Amino acid sequence: MAEELVIQGSALGKQFGENVIAVEDANFTIPRGSFISLVGPSGCGKSTLLRLISGLIEKSGGDLLVRNAEVVGPRSDIGMMFQKAVLLDWRTSIENVLLPDEIRGTIDTDAKKRAWDHLQLVGLKDFEFSFPRQLSGGMQQRVALARLLQTGADIMLLDEPFGALDEFTRERLNDELLRIVEGPDITTIFVTHNIQEAIYLADQVFVMTPRPGRIAAQIEIDLPTPRNIDMTTTPEFNDYVQQVRDVLAGHLDGQPL
Amino acid sequence: MSDIGSDGVLAGVKELSPIQKLAMHGLVFLIIFGGWEVGARLGYVNELILPAPTSIAYRLYEMFFVTGSIYWHYIITMYEATMGFIIGVSIGMGLAITAAISPVFRRYWAPYAVVFNVTPGIAVTPFIIAWFGFGWSSKIALAALVCFFPPFINTLTGLLHIDKDATELFRSLGSTKKQFFWKCQIPSALPIIIAGLKLAMTGALIGTIVAQFFSASEGVGILMQRFAFRLNMDGSFAALIVMSLMGLSLFTLMEYMDYKVLYWRRHSRMEEVGSKRKRKWLAENGDFSA
Repeated sequence: MAEELVIQGSALGKQFGENVIAVEDANFTIPRGSFISLVGPSGCGKSTLLRLISGLIEKSGGDLLVRNAEVVGPRSDIGMMFQKAVLLDWRTSIENVLLPDEIRGTIDTDAKKRAWDHLQLVGLKDFEFSFPRQLSGGMQQRVALARLLQTGADIMLLDEPFGALDEFTRERLNDELLRIVEGPDITTIFVTHNIQEAIYLADQVFVMTPRPGRIAAQIEIDLPTPRNIDMTTTPEFNDYVQQVRDVLAGHLDGQPL
Repeated sequence: MSDIGSDGVLAGVKELSPIQKLAMHGLVFLIIFGGWEVGARLGYVNELILPAPTSIAYRLYEMFFVTGSIYWHYIITMYEATMGFIIGVSIGMGLAITAAISPVFRRYWAPYAVVFNVTPGIAVTPFIIAWFGFGWSSKIALAALVCFFPPFINTLTGLLHIDKDATELFRSLGSTKKQFFWKCQIPSALPIIIAGLKLAMTGALIGTIVAQFFSASEGVGILMQRFAFRLNMDGSFAALIVMSLMGLSLFTLMEYMDYKVLYWRRHSRMEEVGSKRKRKWLAENGDFSA
């Protein structure tokens, strides 16, 4: 069976103002159901590429297709999550999760039931009526994840979603994220600057390099699924880490930091 | 009201038991007012400059409970200040919302509001009297003028300084501008808007009283001036205390609004509101986990 492509970019570029080239000549195809990590140093255009796909910003050149249609703006089959949870402080968890339905005018008993279930799924049983300021950073991100699930989007764009959390919480949430998005339906693009995390999560890692922002390499990660934390010490895993480092080193040599 | 005391300015003050603290407060009070009283009674302080606390207290007692002369002035002043507050706040917030929605308005019209603000409002009093006459309307107009700016600038700032990620979140969810305004901008701005209202409340009272000083036939301001012109200093001081009481009651009202509206800024309130919403949800939808 031929893989169904959900996102395609060719010669995709984004320029800000006269001379800031954030993304240049990006060529990639993303099959449905896959998990892609975008890894690279700060300022390499990872977030810009993510925002191009989300339709939040307009490309300056090239082609970008989602489900064979040019991206012209935000779409309901694409959902986003940010480094900050971006919860509304005056709303309880469940009210935050219901925000997408409120905006689309689709609030009904069914939507409420799904919101409830999503909160259970992300491990927030008994915190349905807590306000964001009563929750820890990790729990706030769980609410944000439940809200993302509530959108019903099957393309999930995650911009360093657990980057501000401590190492232990981050590892746990990564595993839970994998459990939630596994399967043939949900396509995930995950931005990070942590090489191990990028490899651990992904089917494919896009390594990006700055000035101008380019996809320098696309590396298939052929590790067994489901992943578990013990794999991170295997020689295969470390080979991948080395590959990514080599790509980055090759491009960063001689560049001012 | 924030607690600056405990580890900031007062760091190093010895911690006392509640009874000792109360005794300390009593002692300080006694030193200030007892000293003042004794000073006045023994003639060290001229009664025409600073009357004794007991004479002022007696005057207050007389105003409120013997003649009852204060009530009408009190009501008039509160009415003028409140009306001025409502008008000033409505204009200020209305302009701010317009400026937040329309970049053109913000760029070409809003600068006049700033010029308006740096002109001392009180100095406009003669014009206000000339335009609005000697009655209530001139007091209300000055109160509105003096209190218009804080709600304007605070509302505008609050509406424009929205987290960039929140904007992106709403856009990615396909939100309309109107939805974004009501669901994100307004609630995000509420804390700073309410801070502006608190400033405006004080401004409205100042505006009213200054306008009364200038020309009025009723109100606490003119009452105080009449006492002062007759060198009735204890009456003047009593009127001043009445003004403080007004300020205090208006301030308390604003604090109460702050407490009620901004529930997500206080832990005890979040628990209260959270369990209230839980009960409401369970009553409407039942328990999905059951």
